[in-house]
Amino acid sequence: MPLFGTLDASTATTLPVMPNLDTEAWSLPDAEILQCAFEVGGDSLALLPRAMHPAIPFYVSIWVTRYPESPVGAFTLAQVRIVGRAGAHPRGFVLCAVASTAGAVSALRDRWGFPATLGAVSLMRYHDRVVGKVVRDGATILDCALVHPELLSPGDVQYIASVTLADVVENGGTRRSIVQVDPDYTLKRAERGRPSVTAFDAAAWNASGVVFRHPVSASITVCDTDLPRIRFVMDPDLPAYRGTRRVR
Amino acid sequence: MKFGLFYELSVPRPWTRESERTVYNNALEQVKLADELGFDYVWAVEHHFLEEYSHCPAPELFLTAAAMVTRRIRVGHGIVVCVPEFNHPIKIAEKTAVLDILSGGRLDVGTGRSATWTELGGFNADPDLTKQTWDEFVRCLPKMWTSERYSYQGQFWSMPERAILPKVYQRPHPPMWVAVTSPGTELDAADRGLGSLGLTFGMFAEQEKKIAEYRRRIQLCNPVGDFVNDTVATVNFLYCHEDEKTGYETGRRMADTFNYLATQLISARELYPTRSYQSLGLLPQLRRQATGPDAGAQGGDGLCFGSPARIINALQRWQSVGVDCVNFLLNANEVIPQADVLASIRLFAKEVMPAFRKPVVA
Repeated sequence: MPLFGTLDASTATTLPVMPNLDTEAWSLPDAEILQCAFEVGGDSLALLPRAMHPAIPFYVSIWVTRYPESPVGAFTLAQVRIVGRAGAHPRGFVLCAVASTAGAVSALRDRWGFPATLGAVSLMRYHDRVVGKVVRDGATILDCALVHPELLSPGDVQYIASVTLADVVENGGTRRSIVQVDPDYTLKRAERGRPSVTAFDAAAWNASGVVFRHPVSASITVCDTDLPRIRFVMDPDLPAYRGTRRVR
Repeated sequence: MKFGLFYELSVPRPWTRESERTVYNNALEQVKLADELGFDYVWAVEHHFLEEYSHCPAPELFLTAAAMVTRRIRVGHGIVVCVPEFNHPIKIAEKTAVLDILSGGRLDVGTGRSATWTELGGFNADPDLTKQTWDEFVRCLPKMWTSERYSYQGQFWSMPERAILPKVYQRPHPPMWVAVTSPGTELDAADRGLGSLGLTFGMFAEQEKKIAEYRRRIQLCNPVGDFVNDTVATVNFLYCHEDEKTGYETGRRMADTFNYLATQLISARELYPTRSYQSLGLLPQLRRQATGPDAGAQGGDGLCFGSPARIINALQRWQSVGVDCVNFLLNANEVIPQADVLASIRLFAKEVMPAFRKPVVA
């Protein structure tokens, strides 16, 4: 049997509280998504819930996204995910997220369980790179880039769905749950390049101990993103193949 | 129809000093029995770093051991990774020639390019280039085997004139194959006159279409070797038992275990956007098979577990869509005890093989 994560979900603090699982879908047209992937060292198993298997080699996927349109207005979002498997499915477990507006922070926490906080998130294109930067409480906690972009076919890029850890209000109480967030992406443009990270405050991203070992790839795309209604939730302490519950 | 064994050599955790040795020894015992019972092939993969899923990085060594304990069964290098960071083409030519000699001319050579980031990244290979390096390697290999002296100036490797020794035992050279996982690779195989070594468990309709296109294309091929290997092999699970329910449930457990382990692998495209691995390939397909709505019904549609009658029925359907050879996985992560695996092989040979070895009546 493959390895499992070792994170004791009961010890997690300051988790988002989702009032229900009746989240309505969002359409987010013309989003720009910068993704940087790195193989990482450190005790990555300790960051993954017991429900999930790690990807081997361990790797982290950093996303910096600009959403020009959304039900809460334009916003930018950065997130750090450690990628694993929920049963047989690749899933990125969101360790932390930073959104640029209070409305986005609130909606992402309440509706999909993103561990979002407020900060300044920027996505900037230069002639030779695309830079994602996050400043929170006056400190730069992320500075990453795609270097030397080259065009790809949009079909060449594959995105892994996310899962978040949240307290879900159900039946008069709260249940700590892993929430699956599996958007549909319609990619319109894609570029690939070399990933680079010049600043990463691991503790600020709930990624203590993570050490970047090996840069793998970076991509920048333009795509329509449909954030879905919640379809599946999982018990964080049971293997996903036993602890997954269909919501709808 | 011909039958073979196919080894990934998966090793379950916890790993002990003896666990890998036990898996290898069990496999060799199975091969020896299969040889005695009339199986045609034993294939072994080349995989690296794939924890539990496959601990078989040096198939030529396993196959040499297999050849030493058998007399008739053919040994298949399934496959050798044709990417320079993994294997230098001169070493491929040399090692395969030695294996062909030691096996008395029983070698088949499968070729491929790896499909996981775990392996490609581990060797620092560029996923963009693997299709091209594979193409260059397969065109060189037959000439390295057969030319008295050989020189080459290519895009990915070069050498001045040398005698590559030893020469293969078979004349003109061993049959060559391509691992077919991604859709479209069967056409690459056909265009080069190479056998199609199917490594997916696709259903009949999908395979029938692929095989028909392969047969059509190979008629007009430009063979890379001295002859055309117009042969289609596919892979399947095997667990044969007198009791249908026992056979089905045990085989199902093996298939589920294999698929689950396979879905843990990181496909090249998951981590590295590239044109070179555009198609879905093996891993997403296995994910569907392991978890999709049809997961529970897979055994009813072509997988070879259950009673001999059920397996005969499945194999007849594979035969009807044009498959020439079926290679069987006998176990996954040792979930089936060795004694039961051996019993399954014996029952298959006794009850199933004869149905496919009847003399043709004019």
